[in-house]
Parts: sequence; structure tokens; C-alpha cells
Amino acid sequence: MSDEENVPETQMENVSDGAGLEEEDDDDMEQITAQKVLEILETAWINEMCAPEILPSQVDMLELMVSQVAHMEEQMRDLDKNDFRAVVHGMELERVRYIMASYLRCRLQKIETFTQHILNQEAARDPDEKRLSPEETKFAQDFAGHVDEYFHKVATQYMPNQQRGEAELRIVTPNLMSHVFLKANVAVPAVIVGVDDEEVDMAAGSQHIIPYQLVADLIQNNQAQLI
Amino acid sequence: MSRSNKLFGDKAFELLKELERSSQTIPAFDDDGVRQVLEEIKAIFEENVAQASTYNTSGDRSLWPLLNFRHAALQRNKRCLLAYLYERCRRIKALRWEFGPIIPADIKQTLCEPEVQFFNSYSKSLAAYMCSAGYSQGAGQGLDLTNNLRPPKSLYIEVRCMEDYGKFELDDGEVIHLKKNSQHYLPRAQVESLVRQGILQHIA
Repeated sequence: MSDEENVPETQMENVSDGAGLEEEDDDDMEQITAQKVLEILETAWINEMCAPEILPSQVDMLELMVSQVAHMEEQMRDLDKNDFRAVVHGMELERVRYIMASYLRCRLQKIETFTQHILNQEAARDPDEKRLSPEETKFAQDFAGHVDEYFHKVATQYMPNQQRGEAELRIVTPNLMSHVFLKANVAVPAVIVGVDDEEVDMAAGSQHIIPYQLVADLIQNNQAQLI
Repeated sequence: MSRSNKLFGDKAFELLKELERSSQTIPAFDDDGVRQVLEEIKAIFEENVAQASTYNTSGDRSLWPLLNFRHAALQRNKRCLLAYLYERCRRIKALRWEFGPIIPADIKQTLCEPEVQFFNSYSKSLAAYMCSAGYSQGAGQGLDLTNNLRPPKSLYIEVRCMEDYGKFELDDGEVIHLKKNSQHYLPRAQVESLVRQGILQHIA
């Protein structure tokens, strides 16, 4: 929340106590600030936008942020509408809300495009490695059902019996080898690039263009981020 | 073998090209075209079945390439047809994002019955997702994903009213009369859906 930092302390009085989440009684999240949450969300958002496949969901962060936004809105209600602070904070909230909405939309889009592929992958994953939130899973299943039903009603029910199956041929899969731009957060030695086991050392802060699949684990471990 | 001089798969390809070419949001469902493709698929299939059985009894190898060829044609037809439907699906989904849960009457005419059903069920599960996502706990209205479609540039925008809409109540209880050709300076977040429906026009 860069704008927030620029507002002098005195002006923050009304809203600033909402800026820290310390009072949240979330035990496993000790001392995480709203600033940090937003940073994590922003990274997750950009990664999600750039990555060809769906990434683990950041639902926890999102929920923290939503309650934070609600909290700030609550406090802003006391401010005069023409107050400078109200304008600045209002704008900031709008931005945060856009990021959250855009993040979820992006995920939905991927779910809609790669429905069956994602569902299959999810089914093969352990419960604690699931990438979709329960709601997203439900949405994906519903959506797959709707498309199948539509296809069936319009076309496949009129086709000869033996030709109806082959649903597995219709699975759309993301191209994991598409190139992405990424920046290394920390120094990562010996990343294998290319088929012939060629290795590259990434310095912290360096930027690269590389097929997504080769660096997918770096992104998940937060050693690098997409840009 | 079909005796007409048209090629296998022509009609199916035509369907796709028509859809691709049209500049409308969504062209009318080509009932006739889809039926023709389905008939072609069926005809090819039946011919193949008939010849496959002669092949089985006589073991005449010369039929083999023909069978393969027909099978490929059949696959192609099927693929084109499903691609046609899938692309329409995609556009129908876009409608939901653009116009909300109700299809405008003029567009509804261009859809076939199963498509309307698809739209409704899609709309329902999308709404269910947005509600159940749990983001609304304690957050008042929660997060409407169909809002905030573009990065916000400013808090308020200037809008011109394109039609008589009547009263519109803002979050803070202020009521505005939206009359045709009147101009207002309103919070963007609250009027965004009206702008998208074309009731308000965003001016500079």
C-alpha cells in the first residue's frame, strides 16, 4: 500500500489501526501486516496472470485482505466524503479490490479453459496439495457438467453410439513449455534449461525468459516470480 | 460412397468459418448446418459399418484405406462441430460477464434452447461461486467479480445518461434521478454495471 505510506502519520490516525492485522486472532499467522498480505497477494496475482497453468490458491491471504478492506471501509464511513484522506484511502481500496477480483477472475478463466485437465490433476493430488479452493472445485465440476450437457443435447446424442465417447480427446491442456518472463528473488544455482541438461545460475534479481515448466517449482517455492 | 460432388467435411468447416467471420456478438445458431453435419457423420458411419462387415467376412484388404479415410473424415466433422459449439459456449460465457444474469432479448433470439439452458446454469454456478467463496464473511457485500473489470483510474467518473432510468440510490443513501442526457459525477464502483449495460456513458 504505497499510497498509505505517503500519507503523514497524523492523517492516518483514523484508519491506521486497521493497517496492522495484529488484532486478528489468527494463531498460525503471527504478526503479519496488511502490507505483507498485500505484497503476497500482488505477487500471487502477477504469477497467476503470467503462468500458463493454475497455481495454488491463496485463499487465506485473500480472506485476510477482504476482512481488512471491510475494516477500513467501516472506518472510512466516519470520514467526510470530501476529506483528502477519504479520497486517498478510497482509491487505495479500489485498487486492492481490483487486484482481488482480477486474481479470482483469472483463476476462473483458467478453470473454464482447462476444466477437465485441472479436475483430473486435482483428483490425483493429496488433500494438502490441492490447488483449488473447495468453492473453485465445485465451480469446476459444475462447469464441466454444463458443457457436457450442452454438447450432449445439441450434438453428441445424435451421433452414432461408438462415436460418443472419446471425451478424453477433448481435454484442453495448458502449454507448460510456453515461455515466461521471470525474476529471481534469491540466487538459484544450476537451473536446468533446455533438453541437453544445460545449466544456468540465476543471480538474485536477475531476469530471464525461460519455458515455464523448467522453473515452475522455483515459482512455487517463491524463489522466483513471474513478471 | 456419397454420390454428390461435395467434399466430406465441407459443411462442418463452413460452420466454423461463418462463426469466425461474423462481427455480431453471437450469430444465430445454425440449426440447419449442425443438422447437416450430424447427418453427414451418420451417413459416413453407416457406410463404414456396412463395409467393415464385408471386410470382416471377405477379408478384402483393398477396402482398408477407404475405411481409414472415412474414419478420418468422420473425426474431422465431429471435431469441427464440437469446436463450433465450444466457441459459442465461450461467447455465451462472455455474455454473462457483460450483461449480468439476464440475456438481452435480441441476443436471446439467436440462441437455441440448450444454449439458453447452458447460460442459465453457468450463471447460476458463477453466482453460487461468488456467494459461497466465503469472502463475504463480515465484508458486507463481499466481492462481486463482475465488477472491477478494469484497473481503477479515479474514484469518481463523469457519466452521461443515455436513457431515462429513474431513481438510483448510492451507498450513502443519496438518491439521484437519472434522466436522459443528464450528466453526473458519480463513484465509479457503484455505477460500473450501469455503464456496462449502456444506461450510462462514461465521458472523458
